[in-house]
Amino acid sequence: MLLQSIKQGFRNGIDTTIMLGKIIVPVYFVVTFLHHTPVIDFVAQSFEPLMSVFNLPGESAMILVMGNLLSLYSGVGAIQALSLNSFEITLLAMMLNFSHSLFIETAVATRLNVSGTKIMALRVGLMLASGLIFGTLAGGVLQRWM
Amino acid sequence: MDVVAVLREGLFGSLSSVFDIAKVVIPLMIAMQIAKDYRVLDYLSKFMKPFTNFLGMSKESGFPLMVGLVFGLAYGAGVIVQSAKDGNLTRRDMVLLSVFLASCHAVFEDVLIFVAIGANGWLILSARILAGILVTYAVSRRLDGKEPYEEFLPQADQ
Repeated sequence: MLLQSIKQGFRNGIDTTIMLGKIIVPVYFVVTFLHHTPVIDFVAQSFEPLMSVFNLPGESAMILVMGNLLSLYSGVGAIQALSLNSFEITLLAMMLNFSHSLFIETAVATRLNVSGTKIMALRVGLMLASGLIFGTLAGGVLQRWM
Repeated sequence: MDVVAVLREGLFGSLSSVFDIAKVVIPLMIAMQIAKDYRVLDYLSKFMKPFTNFLGMSKESGFPLMVGLVFGLAYGAGVIVQSAKDGNLTRRDMVLLSVFLASCHAVFEDVLIFVAIGANGWLILSARILAGILVTYAVSRRLDGKEPYEEFLPQADQ
């Protein structure tokens, strides 16, 4: 019984890794490619005023957009392809943990007969709130600590 | 732009990310499968009563709450729909469970894949659980005394 569980778990782990790989690899390629073109500078400059509120670099806006429109795992691929420090990775990871895969997960939530708009607003709100608390307010302290 | 260098960076970088994540995801999936097969959550949800009580839910909400917290929104929603069909959950439970799980689900998986790429997991995990509790508690207080909770029913978006 235990051996059976371990085998099944291992198989699930492999399946999940393949599923993640199918998302992370293409996103990583796209972001790496963009990283070597002027597009990334354009994105970085355009979002600098917004992202600097959270003590994050402008190009990290791309990570939040991808994570929310696609999935958490595309956010992982994008974080890896940009060179960020551990404070920035942790803050982006936290913001994405609150709000990701909005289309799919809101669809799941509406199966429970609750308002999808409200659930989505709650998640995006928590993402922004966590960014303000851990990035804007505590950012200085966390940056030194990490 | 050196295309070969970019392709090489993309290939090696992405494969090493996937490998880092595999090292976390495979052991996690084994642990979750054991937990599922040995019905660990059935057992643990017996101890959830003070917690569900605090959040203003019935004690029957403990099991779907644990399932969503550990296995994710899709599993959690499945268990919630089934428990509701069996008549074990009230409308209030469903609203509160949705609010809690919307903020806080699949915590081990979602946190650990970021730990694999260098994030501080404890900070993320505690922020997520704390936020789930605070938001659910706030909604629970707002629902006190209101009956069919029309406010949280789908309106314009359906």
